Amino acid sequence: MSNINLTYLVNTFTDDLYNWAYYKTSNIDIAKDLVQDTFLVASEKNKGFQNKSSHKSWLFAILNNKIVDYYRKKIRVESNFDNLGNYFNDTGDWSSKSKPLDWGESESKLSESVEFQEALAICLNELPEIWNACINLKFLSSKSGDEICQELEISSSNYWQIIRRAKLQLRKCIVINWIKD
Amino acid sequence: MKRLMHILFLSCLKATELIEKKFDFKLSFKEKIQLKIHKMMCSACSNYEKQSHSIENALENDSKHTHPNNADTCQLKEEILANLSKK
Repeated sequence: MSNINLTYLVNTFTDDLYNWAYYKTSNIDIAKDLVQDTFLVASEKNKGFQNKSSHKSWLFAILNNKIVDYYRKKIRVESNFDNLGNYFNDTGDWSSKSKPLDWGESESKLSESVEFQEALAICLNELPEIWNACINLKFLSSKSGDEICQELEISSSNYWQIIRRAKLQLRKCIVINWIKD
Repeated sequence: MKRLMHILFLSCLKATELIEKKFDFKLSFKEKIQLKIHKMMCSACSNYEKQSHSIENALENDSKHTHPNNADTCQLKEEILANLSKK
């Protein structure tokens, strides 16, 4: 591919690609890296490119592969964290200090509570990245559980176990930050 | 006795797993019954389920409010082009 062609692609599609990458990762630096990588792959595969009818969908296909790769790697690196022992004893009952107590608030009140939303935001930031990987795919793409598992190449039981661990941690953090007692 | 109860109506460890599974997958008939009876006997897991729903709802609202960031991409474009010309 000639340089002129590539320059044209970068100038024309970077904004769209970047917005999509940011929407999927919520991280400016990672989104930029993913777009960089996309164009690197594009420049290497220039032969295949000549025959493509739509430059845009071709670039987006590359970017989507990069996004899935990014989450897949995260799962590999971080699926080892496990501290269920902090929450449950040997027989599988709640340990006495982790038993969920009644929050004493109705559901509808909680979602309107600014304090609760703030605590949630803080706690999300403190979570291991694995949660963000799952949550991003779960809430941003409105994909089904099965589809998420396929993309991340994990089994479905692995998926809800990861979610459960993350929820336990999120809950604990919310209790500390939000219910000040 | 306790072990038998766990086998029939789940431990809390297993019950919380099913509570999370339920958000994205269908539970089997057996799992549904087991979870229901477990929650009748266990206020901690009932609380857990309620709170897990609240967190789930809050996360869903939160993600709806996240808009794509129209950052200044001029610099990014220059970086990409500079990188490509190095190759």
